[in-house]
Amino acid sequence: MATLRSHARIHRTADDVWAVVGDPSRIIEWFPGLTGVTVADGVRTLTMRSGLPVHEEIVTLDHRRRRFQYRITGPLPVRYHLGTMDVIDDGEPGCLLVYSTEIDPEPMAFVLDGAISEGVATLARLLNDHAEGRP
Amino acid sequence: MGRRILFITTDQMRYDAIGANGGHIARTPNIDALARDGISYDRAQPQNVVCMPSRATMVTGQDVGTHGVWMNGVPLPIDAPSVAAVLGDAGYRTALIGKSHFEPLLDPFLRFEENRFAFDGSTRGHRGFEHMELATHGPAGFTHYAMWMRAHHAGSIGGFFQVLDQDLEVSGLGGGDTGAPQVKRNPVPRDQYHTEWVADRTIAWLDGLEADDDWFCWMSFPDPHHPWDPPESELHRVDWRDLDLPAAYRTDAAEREAIIDAKPRHWRLWYDGELVSNYEAPTRWVPATLTADQIREVNAITHVENELIDEAIGRVLAAIAARGWGDDLDVVFTTDHGEFQGDYGLLFKGPYHVDSLMRIPLIWRPAPSAGGGVDARARVSRPVGLRDLAPTFCAIAGVDVPAWMDGRPLPIDDADATARAFERVTTEWDSQQPDGTEIHLRTIVRDRWVLTEYRPGTVHDGTEGELYDIEEDPLQFVNLWDDPARRAVRAELVDDLRANIVEPELWRRAQAPV
Repeated sequence: MATLRSHARIHRTADDVWAVVGDPSRIIEWFPGLTGVTVADGVRTLTMRSGLPVHEEIVTLDHRRRRFQYRITGPLPVRYHLGTMDVIDDGEPGCLLVYSTEIDPEPMAFVLDGAISEGVATLARLLNDHAEGRP
Repeated sequence: MGRRILFITTDQMRYDAIGANGGHIARTPNIDALARDGISYDRAQPQNVVCMPSRATMVTGQDVGTHGVWMNGVPLPIDAPSVAAVLGDAGYRTALIGKSHFEPLLDPFLRFEENRFAFDGSTRGHRGFEHMELATHGPAGFTHYAMWMRAHHAGSIGGFFQVLDQDLEVSGLGGGDTGAPQVKRNPVPRDQYHTEWVADRTIAWLDGLEADDDWFCWMSFPDPHHPWDPPESELHRVDWRDLDLPAAYRTDAAEREAIIDAKPRHWRLWYDGELVSNYEAPTRWVPATLTADQIREVNAITHVENELIDEAIGRVLAAIAARGWGDDLDVVFTTDHGEFQGDYGLLFKGPYHVDSLMRIPLIWRPAPSAGGGVDARARVSRPVGLRDLAPTFCAIAGVDVPAWMDGRPLPIDDADATARAFERVTTEWDSQQPDGTEIHLRTIVRDRWVLTEYRPGTVHDGTEGELYDIEEDPLQFVNLWDDPARRAVRAELVDDLRANIVEPELWRRAQAPV
């Protein structure tokens, strides 16, 4: 079992950030390598650039605590997975986005870690650019 | 018109693999002819003993600490400097055909450009290469070779060894006659094998050039890197039963293990299957189970793969000669790192800085038309590194060596090496596994000594090391690190190492296991 964590401070309110993170269909705006997403009946299905799907079960979508959790259920070779995104209003300027992952087998951690890090950085950039009025 | 450059690399080839360096099993007449008409380097070393860092050094001319690709899975930044760009700016046509591995191969999200090129069917290059057609060790993943196999020879794909198991771990599944790991009888026709594909695509690219074009072509064979699954039709070339065991293999287990026990503890931990410190070796394979016959079979197959490479090189050189370019052609032949091939009872590679992995073949056959005082059959004994290749390409092309390159143009003989102070070569290793295992090695080779200093990690506390006298002990059996009689030379070498190694300034995240 490998554990991963990426985070970013975003210069927007927690509610602004949660408006993106808390909408599972908006992942296509910031996660790399995706060409499609559908959300229905607690299941999110992503389509990767290669055409392969990723099936995910939505575990938690807590708008009050601003927490989103999901599991990859296939067809990636994952035995156990739990992804957690927390948007935290910690009293500092802006808010903190924390993306944590537990995954087995461990080699998948390298693959997801790189993609998640890129995704978190993209999300922060998009929201920060918007905050600063850039197009 | 200037001098054309054919840069030939293999993957994971030992110094002694070719006839020109004393190999007597694989017949490599084309490579040997390059040595006969050129310069052989007897102490050439990679700056890292796994693929991605080593290949990043080749294309940038930089030490690992400068380009920052500190382990497999760390991509070379897309804006990293490239010798291909330098040559392109000088008017050269440029191509890379075969294995690049500047970016991770395990890429389900297709985040990396080289994988996307192949998936999209594009041969447009980047990093200064105007043309790229890429391959790796089989038909899996997103390479041009894999896409070609899927489109035209899908029925042959199942004959290859499946490198990753259902857990994405590197498979240690055994096969062949002996059950050796990553050996598989592969019924693939020879003309569909990646060695032939690399040569075919190289010839096709060259055919598209104008007669007066200057060009730089990196022809990069994925073999003899594991898995060992060449076309079954070629296995008759070398009968494993006829092979001697490697000089660095002791058949007596106690003797073999005593040699390993004299080295830092991760050697024995890996041998016993208690530690896997890098993704390059099968996770669930225990080296202590390796038999003498398995070593023979792996080595026989490796020799077969090397013969196929040599014949492919012969085809390409003939095509070049037919275009009338032979007299203006510089050829550089090398590999990215070595392979244990049974030394010490081990296979594959990892954080083990001995000659099995660090001493590699390197030949430079200058263009016959260049003249310039090059002695055919010259052998250079002074240490050089793969970081010296990119500056050499610049020198061949007649362009200034950029200040961002750490290396220098290769010496043409020992007198030149002495005059230009080629005194040492360094190799470094850093790895960090998902379970937290970290290993950090720094090595210097100078005069008759190989010294490796261990930096603190999860297995070593930073006091460990290795010191070998390669004149007295070429197999590196006797670790002199703690020998009181060698304290002075050890201290001097450590100081020299620390003064000359380039430490990474930025620890970029690995993006994939490989």
